[in-house]
Amino acid sequence: MIEGKKKIFPVHYAPGKKLFHIVVTLSDAPGSYSSILDLVRTKVNLIGTSTYTRNDGTAIFSGFSEALTPTLTGKELEKLIMSSKAAISAQVSEGRDGILVDTFHTGFVVGDEEYILMRRDGLVHVFDRVSKMLGSGGDALLFEEGVAMGQRNAEMMIRNVGVQRVRDQTGVLNRFLAAQGWGILEAEGGPGRDEFTVRVVDCFECSANGSSRKGCNFMRGYLAGGAKSTFGREFDSKEAKCRLRGADACEFQLSPA
Amino acid sequence: MRFWSILAAVLPLTAIILVRESAATLLFSLPIAPLPLVVESKGDFESMANSLNRKGFKAQAPAAIVGKSGVKHEFAFALTPDAGKAKIVVDTELSVGEVDEMKVLKFYVKVFDVGPEKAVLCVCPRLGERAATLAKEYGITVLENDVPRKLIPMAEKVVNEIAATGAN
Repeated sequence: MIEGKKKIFPVHYAPGKKLFHIVVTLSDAPGSYSSILDLVRTKVNLIGTSTYTRNDGTAIFSGFSEALTPTLTGKELEKLIMSSKAAISAQVSEGRDGILVDTFHTGFVVGDEEYILMRRDGLVHVFDRVSKMLGSGGDALLFEEGVAMGQRNAEMMIRNVGVQRVRDQTGVLNRFLAAQGWGILEAEGGPGRDEFTVRVVDCFECSANGSSRKGCNFMRGYLAGGAKSTFGREFDSKEAKCRLRGADACEFQLSPA
Repeated sequence: MRFWSILAAVLPLTAIILVRESAATLLFSLPIAPLPLVVESKGDFESMANSLNRKGFKAQAPAAIVGKSGVKHEFAFALTPDAGKAKIVVDTELSVGEVDEMKVLKFYVKVFDVGPEKAVLCVCPRLGERAATLAKEYGITVLENDVPRKLIPMAEKVVNEIAATGAN
């Protein structure tokens, strides 16, 4: 299986196309989703979809689509969807001037936690500016913020799945960061798991071109903070290799302080 | 020497010629317009550190100190009685106009990471109002003077006073 970036659709631009955002509240029952797809596929080309269940016995289908015929209207689509017994309600929004924006959702939720979406290089440039404005102090600040976030995220995970599972399933949980676009983490523990080497392929912090920074201080801190919450002790964190210094991936070494 | 180089760099219409000969470093500033002439070869932070070292203190100028974060910070001067741990750090900020709060913040984050007993910021000509408020809030000792070279003895006096209060 090829690893890649998941495409999501808070916005889509297709000049000259008639675009629709279809949002359907479904009964959370087997076959509901496919019955909606069977109906809409005759009228639209689906560009990107998502579905998720809610806690009240319903589910949401959300799809960005292009009309197969230029005369199709949103009202017609809504009527068509509501002809399905699986549909509880339907809302179809039409794009304007080739621009379609998700006006239904107001953010993202993972587990019980709210997330925001931000351009990767946008955040990296924030880091660049902090480092440029504050010099080496800015790098220290990024490290401290990384420690704080690493601690908090690990604590949240410990609350959700328990500390032993977090300790035992580091490899699996590292994939959670990869899925969020932080980079692909590969951790190797030393004897007694006192020392770790963490290799980060496609580390987000050094992903933008033209950075004047020399290392990934936020990620270095994040790993130290995460290890502290997980193992209940302070860790020193050093970045032995970094793409900003010419390596092909970042490598961090964690050892008890 | 870096202290004076920075001053010269911020003075408009001033051409700088740096001539390095063996151990001696000379800085000549050739004003194109009638601006203050800066010629200095002694009395900088290196001399101050040498003087303190002769008295048995452990001083560095410039000083590179690794903070709690593992990041290495540079200061114009530091008194480091224990290896890698600073008792006093000193930095300089020179400007044509008033020095703004970003410079204070820049100094403070380094100080925060290094954790010295005393942090001294030498400023020429002076801090702006907001910068001064921030420096006070952060507990930074600020030395101000319109004449950059006068900041060195001012800093030396403060450093000597603090150094004399505890172990070196």
